[in-house]
Amino acid sequence: MDAELVELQRQFELAQEAKSSVRLSERNVVELVQKLHDLQIIDYDLLHTVSGKEYITPDQLRLEMMMEIDKSGRVSLIELADVVGVDLYHIEKQAQCIVVDGSGLMLIQGEIIAQSYWDNVAEEINDRLQESSQIALAELAAQLNVGSELLTAALEPRLGRIVKGRLEGGQLYTPAYVARVTAMVRGATRAITVPMNLSLVWSSLQQQLQENNGANSVAVEGSFFQSLFNGLVKEGEILGSIRTGVHWTPAVFAHAQRESVDSFFSQNTYIAYEALHKLGIPQPKQYLQSRYPEGVPLDTVFIHPSMIDMLDSATEDAIERGHWIDSLSVLPALFGTQDASKLLSLCPSVQRSSSDALILGESCVLSNAFVKAVALFTQPGPSGNSNITSKTKVTDDSDSFTEVGTDDSFSKPSFEKGSKRKKGKAAGTKTLESGPAEIENLPAKGKKNQRKSKETSSVQLSNTKSGAKKDPDKIKEDDLIISEECIMKKITTLVADFEDQGGLDDPHSLVAALASHLRPMLLTSWKEKRKALLVENADKMKRLLNNLQKKLDEAFLNMQLYEKALDLFEDDPSTSLTLHRHLLRTTGSYIVDMILVTLDMHNKLKNGVGVEDSKTIEDTTLSAADRMSLAKSLPGSLSVKAISVVEALDAKQVETFMTALRNLADESGLLLKKLDKKLEKSLLHSYRKELASQVSAEMDAVAVLPKVVSLIYLQVYNKALQAPGRAISSAVARLKDKLEDSAHKVLSDYHTATVSLLALQAAAPDDVSIQAAME
Amino acid sequence: MEGWDPNTKSTLTKIPLLTTKAGPRDGAVWTQRLKEEYKSLIAYTGMNKSNDNDWFRISAANPEGTRWTGKCWYVHNLLKYEFDLQFDIPVTYPATAPELELPELDGKTHKMYRGGKICLTVHFKPLWAKNCPRFGIAHALCLGLAPWLAAEVPILVDSGMIKHKDDKAAATAS
Repeated sequence: MDAELVELQRQFELAQEAKSSVRLSERNVVELVQKLHDLQIIDYDLLHTVSGKEYITPDQLRLEMMMEIDKSGRVSLIELADVVGVDLYHIEKQAQCIVVDGSGLMLIQGEIIAQSYWDNVAEEINDRLQESSQIALAELAAQLNVGSELLTAALEPRLGRIVKGRLEGGQLYTPAYVARVTAMVRGATRAITVPMNLSLVWSSLQQQLQENNGANSVAVEGSFFQSLFNGLVKEGEILGSIRTGVHWTPAVFAHAQRESVDSFFSQNTYIAYEALHKLGIPQPKQYLQSRYPEGVPLDTVFIHPSMIDMLDSATEDAIERGHWIDSLSVLPALFGTQDASKLLSLCPSVQRSSSDALILGESCVLSNAFVKAVALFTQPGPSGNSNITSKTKVTDDSDSFTEVGTDDSFSKPSFEKGSKRKKGKAAGTKTLESGPAEIENLPAKGKKNQRKSKETSSVQLSNTKSGAKKDPDKIKEDDLIISEECIMKKITTLVADFEDQGGLDDPHSLVAALASHLRPMLLTSWKEKRKALLVENADKMKRLLNNLQKKLDEAFLNMQLYEKALDLFEDDPSTSLTLHRHLLRTTGSYIVDMILVTLDMHNKLKNGVGVEDSKTIEDTTLSAADRMSLAKSLPGSLSVKAISVVEALDAKQVETFMTALRNLADESGLLLKKLDKKLEKSLLHSYRKELASQVSAEMDAVAVLPKVVSLIYLQVYNKALQAPGRAISSAVARLKDKLEDSAHKVLSDYHTATVSLLALQAAAPDDVSIQAAME
Repeated sequence: MEGWDPNTKSTLTKIPLLTTKAGPRDGAVWTQRLKEEYKSLIAYTGMNKSNDNDWFRISAANPEGTRWTGKCWYVHNLLKYEFDLQFDIPVTYPATAPELELPELDGKTHKMYRGGKICLTVHFKPLWAKNCPRFGIAHALCLGLAPWLAAEVPILVDSGMIKHKDDKAAATAS
């Protein structure tokens, strides 16, 4: 038996005897642990790893987590779950426990962050801050991958301790930087002297900073400036007041504002709100009221009570003196009409004497006495006339009369209209030069126009010229109404200074107001006047017509008489024509003139216009044009007839003239006496007598000749001949058959002598020979 | 080597191989062979023990080492079933594999020859022949008896052919 074999045997024995190592399967172990749990031997929660192969107690888990946290100071839970190998759920649960227990730990957004981490971060930030003097928090937060609010919260307690800087509006600044910006803000705001929007200042500062720092600088926010600024204001380094956060009013400005308002107000006792607006005071009324409680606020100005006193005394004076005053003339130019009226209402004198005074056009105070006076003056009729004529140009006035007599009545109104329109325009754009001229013109025109329109009114009734309607004056006249316009004109004439002061917008405002005030009063008085005048005129008219009839009878008989003589020359056309014309020119025109003028006056009287100097008319001789205009000015059908008469006058036929004249006479209600034998005889007789006396009285041979001729005609033909010089020769020739030869010879000699005498008039006439021949 | 489960295979490869080709009648060379057998068995047993897979006890019943006796066991449903084990080294050894006997189970299963010799799988013999003389007793146990026990014991227990010794004791006691 081999020893080695024995040894091996023994070894084998040993190997077989050796205790075999116990090995449990995982399942067994799990079961075992469960069993232990069931048996309460393990009386705490057992956790297992993600792989499921390990059990871990919560304490161990916590320990491991703490170790991880301590390593970096900041661990995300997900990372922890990976590192520890435990389900995230348990990690989160434990993390909460840890954070609750552990001082200086926080659980934020799935991360556990230790205070030490923040300390480190703060130091880092400080290093960077010292390098670059400013950092944006947002940038830092992005780098650290945390929220900026969190970063702010973490940094704030460390701000002065670890981080040497200042946090402002999401930016970190070093004190040096802050000091520099503060200096800028202080400088800028101290330099401001007028109210300003601060954000503008900030933006300019920002620009400056950017320029200084170059491109790498971070934009400084306006809020940073604002906070610095607020600090400065609080410290009293800059003075002023701030409104709604951005409107900065420097104390200097406020002071200056107050000063200027004070000085202006104290010097002038008033101040316009506009001036305050210019000074930058947004609500001047309130501002002033609070500053000067005794002052009186008006619409556009603020006044001191002394202003009222001043105006009061002025108005009182005006009222007492029975005059008027425009408060605007007393007040400074700034005052508007509303202000003035408001001010007036405050005046004690006006309040007191509201019965004695009249406020018109908002700003004018008129004493009642004054108003009465004006009303008196503006009344139409003789009283008004006589008063006003003193102011009107005399020539103008007389002109108007002659015009009445002679002017073409159609051209006149149109001229008036034109002038009026012009005047209106001139008044609208009144200049200094044109003003007075207008005023001077005005009265005469007004007067004239008024009278004129009355004269022509009857014509215009039939005359449907549209122009007449446009003229309110005339239409009103037709309706027997005094227009305000004409009252205004009168007033302006009367009180010239009304025109000067007139309101800025409408020069007639006051006048218009006064006129409308006066108008009803005037209207009644005018009507009364008119009635009286009509009564008076009726008398005159009767007289006038009687007069006319008388004269007309006489003239017309003569006319007829002369007309008969014309029959003698029927066979001699040229002589006949001359005679016809002569007759028309002398007797015919006399009759026509008489009739026309009288009719015209009658017409006027009928319309109630006073015609004083009716006597003078008789002597007037009218030109053809005057006649025509007068004829046209007559009313209605009368005018037509009159025109035809005037036309017939120009024609060469006496017959046509006679018929026209008869027509006219019919129309105007006049009588034309027919020539009967008896009357004719007596007329001829008287005519002969007259002629004879004239011939005997006449010394001038030349003048005697026609008279002698007509005397002879009267004797021979028993007809009255009116012959002009040119017709004498033919008249003499006609006498040849009727007279004895000797007598005719003498006559023809006389005639030739006269002719030769006339021809030789320049030479010394042989008076003696002619005288002898005549004998 | 197919036909065995991976565990068996890995274990088998770890058992040291033998080199001496000698039978019981070869005198000193057999001794040499026997030594190698022991070394192999020691290694196998150590392996089993370290893997908590100890399942037999054997020892040489005669000094020549041609007859071996011992015990083997199998754990089924947390119950340890233990059987006597005996075998002889055949004269033609190592060309012929030893015939392992479980005399207790004789007549209780089909997979057994008379006298309690277990029926090995069809794979065993060719494998053994191929590996002669490198396989020894340890290999025979590993490749032969271990799979047989794993396959047969559960069937035998379930069919009631064998009973646990506690149950037997209880049965006898009652």
